[in-house]
Amino acid sequence: MRGLLLSLPLALMIGLLLLYPLTTLFWGSVASAGAISIHSYIELFRDDYYRTALLHSFLLSAVVAFISTFLCLAPAWLFANEEFAGKRLVRALYTLPMSFSGIIVGFLAVIMLGRIGVVPQLFEKATGSNYLSGSAYQLVGLVLAYLYFEIPRATLTLESALRKFDPQLSLAARSLGAGITQRIRLVILPLIWRPLVSTFAVTLTVSLGSFGVALIISKRFSLLPLEIYRAITGYGNKSMMAAMAITLVLLAFIINYSVRNWTLGATEKA
Amino acid sequence: MRRRRAVSFAMIAAHAVTWVLLIVITAPVLVVLAGAFFNTSFLGLASEQWATGNDRTFLTSSWFGYVFHIYGGSLAFSLGLAFLCVGACILISVPAAYAIVRTHSLRSRMLEELALLPLSVPGIAMSIGLIQAYSIVRGQWWLILCGHLLYTMPLMMRVLTSALRSSETARLEVAAESLGASWRQRFLFVVIPNLRHSIIVGSLLVFAISWGEFNVSFLLNTPLHQTFPAALYATYTGNSFAVSSAATTIFLAVVVPALLALQWIGGGEFTRLEQPA
Amino acid sequence: MKLLMLSSMLVASAAGAIAEKVVVQYDCIPNYANWGGVTAAYATETGVRIPPDMKGSSAAMAALEAEKANPQADCAYYSGAIGYQAALKGLHQPYKPAGWEKLSDSLKDPDGKWWTVHSAYIAFIVNKAALMGKPVPQSFADLLKPDYKGMVVYDDPTILGTGFTYVYGMNAIMKGGPDMDAGFSYLKKLNTNILNYAKDTVYNDVLRGEIPIWINADGNGLKMKYVDKGDIEVVIPSEGTITMPLVMGMVNGAPHPEETKKYLDWCLGDKAQKLMAQSFFRPVMKINLGSELSKQFLPESAYAKAVNLPLSEMATKADAVKQRWSKEVNAK
Repeated sequence: MRGLLLSLPLALMIGLLLLYPLTTLFWGSVASAGAISIHSYIELFRDDYYRTALLHSFLLSAVVAFISTFLCLAPAWLFANEEFAGKRLVRALYTLPMSFSGIIVGFLAVIMLGRIGVVPQLFEKATGSNYLSGSAYQLVGLVLAYLYFEIPRATLTLESALRKFDPQLSLAARSLGAGITQRIRLVILPLIWRPLVSTFAVTLTVSLGSFGVALIISKRFSLLPLEIYRAITGYGNKSMMAAMAITLVLLAFIINYSVRNWTLGATEKA
Repeated sequence: MRRRRAVSFAMIAAHAVTWVLLIVITAPVLVVLAGAFFNTSFLGLASEQWATGNDRTFLTSSWFGYVFHIYGGSLAFSLGLAFLCVGACILISVPAAYAIVRTHSLRSRMLEELALLPLSVPGIAMSIGLIQAYSIVRGQWWLILCGHLLYTMPLMMRVLTSALRSSETARLEVAAESLGASWRQRFLFVVIPNLRHSIIVGSLLVFAISWGEFNVSFLLNTPLHQTFPAALYATYTGNSFAVSSAATTIFLAVVVPALLALQWIGGGEFTRLEQPA
Repeated sequence: MKLLMLSSMLVASAAGAIAEKVVVQYDCIPNYANWGGVTAAYATETGVRIPPDMKGSSAAMAALEAEKANPQADCAYYSGAIGYQAALKGLHQPYKPAGWEKLSDSLKDPDGKWWTVHSAYIAFIVNKAALMGKPVPQSFADLLKPDYKGMVVYDDPTILGTGFTYVYGMNAIMKGGPDMDAGFSYLKKLNTNILNYAKDTVYNDVLRGEIPIWINADGNGLKMKYVDKGDIEVVIPSEGTITMPLVMGMVNGAPHPEETKKYLDWCLGDKAQKLMAQSFFRPVMKINLGSELSKQFLPESAYAKAVNLPLSEMATKADAVKQRWSKEVNAK
């Protein structure tokens, strides 16, 4: 009873601000003219335009998640297991982009890699030709900008996992004569495999929902969040918009929860 | 001998990647800071003369003055939102986290799951959900606050529940109970004082996230209650590089101290944020 | 903690609820038609604040529609056809501002559901430095050249009114029939050279050289050239151009009706009209601009081939055209 009373405000908040709006959204995606139909979802998967946006969103997020997971193994390992001068400051700087909303990252991409960005201007001064000019608006710019905000997330997620990893195990294996490839395959990989996958999942879902970056720099590359934005701000089919949003929510859920169950299951078996 | 070299090679590679990434992270921020304070005219022209009539001296002397002049209201509004968010999160989360950790029932487990759920709901979907569900109160500033609460509460909950689970609090409580303390006394005089550190960590996190949140702040933004992130977006699309840089610098000046403080007091492990970017 | 709560309450109330006089105008982009200057002048004169609003025409209409039950805005500004469409949807209330009788009939709704405040023409706004040595395009035919690949931007017509006027008008420039095929066939070809369909104003991107060619209202380009002293050329394409009246209307259920009426009256007055003209949007009222400013406008002869499009037809076909553009042009 006491517990119920203490957690009542939280429960109310979740009900009113999370469950009710999501239900409304779902209802909006299936209700059309008084009847229930999944027409919008069928169109989402059948229509080339929307399907491309969905596919783009998923592929871009997957590529970025993959790259950031592997790239960030390096800083995560250093933060978790090594000591070096200025580590605390470096680590603090790594967390910096986490509080940047997407638009800031998009803006940073434009000033660095825009048509008259800093990088091409420096190239022009040094070599006479403006390499990378306008690359912010191409796919490479989008990938780099997404990486920018995923680096801290991936690093910190991996770091907390790697901290639990005991380097002695690897040393022991080495003293038993295992080579570096053997050690990676038989000792290190089995231990960090799960954190790698869950980092991949976390970064994937964050990228899927990211909207500000694309709003600033995505020029011709259609992404689901951008299509949702176009539908709210301008002319647009409202039930299609709701269907796109619900699809985004479901995708994020499925990825998060299947990965979590899988890693939990694996832990129990081990 | 060969093996040792392989290991040190891996270390060198790890250091190299780390420092390169550090440059990638910090370089754009440094350019922005430079743009706000110095003349970076090689990056393009300005077009803000309309703000103060045709008096250009005011502008060239201070881009910050321009930002405060035009967007001062949204700055104060967003700061107020962030503080209110911290207050509301503390008031709601502390009792709820306590109740959830101390009662072992299906209901409390479910509630905990649900409380963390917003972290995996993309912000743009949540925002249009809020817009559609509460169209009748659209334009009310507290609707933006509600959206912020949704994305900050889970972080506060996570900090508090993990503190309650791992700390000495449970043992101290048993001791207090054996001495005849009622639950209200235990909650107020044992649990809360012991949670002080976690509450501070959580508050800094909540503050930083609320301040930087874009989706809800932008999509639920109304002309009368403009949030600073929406103002930032307006400077990116409609103002010159110098003004955008000054606005971004103001943004950083608020959030960086909060992040540094988090690192300093050892809340670093909680900065693992999954909320939408 | 109490102190914290108290201070935050103070900040929040300072930001929001102070009793100050406001009029909310949707589509009040500071760098478009000098709305920044117009609203600043109005605030100094009357103390009434008109906050900037970054929505484009269609976005403003969509917002008004979404808020029908609980209107937030007092008035809105649009490119002509979208204002007409918003009036058709019943989003406006009739109001005849001071000076109404001076407007010609084609520039206003007989009931006062919308009226023109100024007009502009569709033009190429070219940042010469950003062209990287390529010649300044002079015609719509030039724009299709591979030289300009990735250099051309026009506004997303589903969001911004200027973009809609251009997309709709392209058919008339290509001398197309009512099926609009000629216009769309050109837009599809242009698609390969497009850098972006802008969802928000790109004024500063063009000025800074991030975008070399912007198909937009001529006034914006002239302002970049004369006011911001940019390396900008404004080209009226040789095939012809489109006249774009820009209109205002008072929102149905406006929360601050009295203040709004005063403001709408003021917008047709000499001072406001002159301020708009300083951004090179042609005032709807006959006012004396002074010789220096009038010289900076392009000569009337440049607009000899300008087409006037019937707003009523544009408005009724608007949704279909936006949809067709989304499918046939944007989706490719």
